[in-house]
Amino acid sequence: MSEKTRNAPIAGVLFGVALLGIWEAVSRGGFVTPGFLPAPSIVATTLVERVIGRDLLWHAGISTLRVWSAFLIAAAMAIPIGILMGSFPLVGRALEPTIDFIRYLPVPALVPLSIIWFGVGEATKLFLLWLGTFFQLVLLVADDVRRVPHEYQEVAATLGAPRRRALLDVSFPAMLPTLVDNLRVTLGWCWSYVIVAEIVAADSGIGFVIWQARRFFKTPEVMAGVVAIGIIGLATDQALRWLHWRWFAYLRR
Amino acid sequence: MDYLIFENVSKRFAGFGEQSDVVAPFNLSIVKGEIVVFLGPSGCGKTTLMRMVGGMESPTTGVIRLEGTPLGPPDRRRGMVFQSYSSFPWLTVEENVAFGMRYRTDLTPAAKRERTQHYLNIVGLTEHAGNYPNRISGGMRQRVAIARTLAAGSEILLMDEPFGALDAQRREVMQLELRRILQIESKTIIFVTHDVEEAAFLADRVVVFTRRPARILSTIDIANRLGAARTLALRDSQPFFELRNELLALVRSTAEEEAA
Repeated sequence: MSEKTRNAPIAGVLFGVALLGIWEAVSRGGFVTPGFLPAPSIVATTLVERVIGRDLLWHAGISTLRVWSAFLIAAAMAIPIGILMGSFPLVGRALEPTIDFIRYLPVPALVPLSIIWFGVGEATKLFLLWLGTFFQLVLLVADDVRRVPHEYQEVAATLGAPRRRALLDVSFPAMLPTLVDNLRVTLGWCWSYVIVAEIVAADSGIGFVIWQARRFFKTPEVMAGVVAIGIIGLATDQALRWLHWRWFAYLRR
Repeated sequence: MDYLIFENVSKRFAGFGEQSDVVAPFNLSIVKGEIVVFLGPSGCGKTTLMRMVGGMESPTTGVIRLEGTPLGPPDRRRGMVFQSYSSFPWLTVEENVAFGMRYRTDLTPAAKRERTQHYLNIVGLTEHAGNYPNRISGGMRQRVAIARTLAAGSEILLMDEPFGALDAQRREVMQLELRRILQIESKTIIFVTHDVEEAAFLADRVVVFTRRPARILSTIDIANRLGAARTLALRDSQPFFELRNELLALVRSTAEEEAA
């Protein structure tokens, strides 16, 4: 590792701290009204208060549960279908136009339709989150399979592997590291959609908390909610990165 | 006597315009246990030829027979060793070699373990059995691929410029290694290269191909002239020089044809 890359974490922390410092100064210095931009220290205090004294943890848990259930359903469908699309050109050509069309529909635009179909309960949230991730993920998976070097398949074939076994024994492990990366990225998108869904139609979850706080102009609480999402996102992302690092140690020299 | 025979074999790819002929019709017979090197300019179609033997491509005309039977889709009688992506990075060296027998139902697990150790030993990788391919040298990775193919029980090894990505020293070591391994395990080899010295050093017989569409320019019997024992000393000998120059002249003549 070079001197420059070794110092990268320090540089990142310094930049973050500097930004917080400026924000604090601007807010405390009376340049803006506290209701418009509360100081980070106030946001932090509010966050701690809401976590300890009230129900933010519970709402965060609800949101996390929604994200993960929709995400796992989407992944469980996208992985096999994507593998089929990537491995068999006919399947790929048949499904790709439809999936591409749906993929470009912005999830918020489908909220009204979703409410008509599923009401305002959990089903709507699951549907919207699934919609936002499945169609993206399935194309990513298909591409991952296509990028597996054909040499692996051919080696397996010359060792006597039937086509389907080669998919399972060779293509799947070969694509696994990129698959896990793509899952990590799509999980992040899932978090955007859950907030959208909770703002529009929910009585629980972080999105709901943020929206409620906005109604009563509790700007510190709005920001605390946003920060909470950031913290959960960062923690999840780091955890998945760590898993990637552990599982795919063979990629390192 | 005839083991692997090419009868009037040609290959044409659709959609290449005038360049659609990759291999012009040709005949060739390979003897069991022979090391045949296909030598020719890059992109001349010799790889396509080898892929036809492997069953990854089928000939447009003609037929390739193995002991009289026309060749079909890939099976473990014909093993491939590629230049890159030759070993599976997610498996250790040992697991890679064992993978060669994954689809064999005729061996007990104990027999498979024994064979794995046997071939690890033959290629000299016993000490690296637990390492992942990323942690060993390029030459060792090619040994892994060779051991895996041997463990699978392939009769024919199809080697597509397997040492092409190695530096000159390592390539020389691997050429010696391959000859050494083949003295222990007699296999029929089709080895594709554009390296004239490699061809002269490794082959029992060199088949020189022209540029695309590939035709056989000449077939040169090396075993007759250099004998079976290939040592580093041989590389500095007069007969080797002459042979090398002969092959070089042939390859150059195809290159000039292209320039003209």
